[in-house]
Amino acid sequence: MKRWIIAAALLGLAGAAQAATQAEAEAALAKATQTETDAGKTGNRWLPAEAALKAAKVALDAKDWDKAATQADQAQALAARAIEQSHEQETAWQDAVIR
Amino acid sequence: MRFLGRVGVVAALVVLGGAAPAPGVDPAADQKAFAAFFKEKFPDVKPADFGNGPYAVNAAMRKQWEDIMQFPPYDFALDEGKTEFETKFANGKSYADCFANGGIGVRQDYPYFDTKTGQVVTLDLAINQCRTANGEKPLPYQTGKMASLTAYMAETSRDKPFDIKIPDDPRARAAFAEGERYFYTRRGQLNFSCASCHVQGAGQRLRGDILAPALGILAAFPIYRSDWGSMGTIDRRFTSCSAQMRSEPLPPQDPAYRSLEYFLSYMSNGIPITGPGTRP
Repeated sequence: MKRWIIAAALLGLAGAAQAATQAEAEAALAKATQTETDAGKTGNRWLPAEAALKAAKVALDAKDWDKAATQADQAQALAARAIEQSHEQETAWQDAVIR
Repeated sequence: MRFLGRVGVVAALVVLGGAAPAPGVDPAADQKAFAAFFKEKFPDVKPADFGNGPYAVNAAMRKQWEDIMQFPPYDFALDEGKTEFETKFANGKSYADCFANGGIGVRQDYPYFDTKTGQVVTLDLAINQCRTANGEKPLPYQTGKMASLTAYMAETSRDKPFDIKIPDDPRARAAFAEGERYFYTRRGQLNFSCASCHVQGAGQRLRGDILAPALGILAAFPIYRSDWGSMGTIDRRFTSCSAQMRSEPLPPQDPAYRSLEYFLSYMSNGIPITGPGTRP
């Protein structure tokens, strides 16, 4: 019985360690929003990044900090990849031209 | 002088917001290579047939299309377009007053590069310019009356080959180069370019669709698409293609989309207009 209580307590601590705070969720959203804005400047916003950003804002309004942080991180990763793609394609497109 | 010309092209591209042009942009040479590529890829397809898109390269689809064409699904749009075209504006003028030859048989000349404004003018844009010049509200670009009007105008150009010109103007060459860059640039989460489907994938299946070759791909527009259940313009196709790549579409008639249309239409010079068309 004692072992079960200790295990449950440890699991609870682990869960608490993973839970995002409001400040963390807001910071993640701010970072993702900025990266998505930068992606827009390259003319290449990805629809899934837009969707994840929107979901993060909805979760933040609902005070679901975990979900807001997760969605914002996803948006951040997608937007960063979009920017990489734009930079790659600045010259790479020429390799595909039929000559 | 030649140096100044090159500077002009680069400057115009910067204004258009595009990346630097490919070195030595040569529209005529690119068009020749483009046509040769598709001729080699589809040796059994007659050049004029490329305007029929997937039906030119897939016998089973062609058979279905021929059956469908006994009762073309775009017929209602032709009727609506003709009525709209012939209806006078509030000021007593009409579309015929805005176009060469009264707007009949002119589709193959669009888009053109307007050296006065420095812009690519598509047929759809010209229709709305005509409306606003005569005190009417512009039409939405993707479907509805715009699709019907362009369907009627395309029908009066059937069998006339695309005759797109690039005037001796660095801005026109820059617009062509911007369209070429857009066509070959990968974008969106799926990392696709227009060319991924319509050059490398032309004639192959993408799920249930047979991908149309890029050569002549705009000759059939506007189209009735079964997937849409309605008519759609080139803008509708461009925006839906962008979304399918999971890339945020540009607004209809965005300069980049107009440059893309300019590029694709120039590449299809000599291919007859087949529009309005029908697609799965």
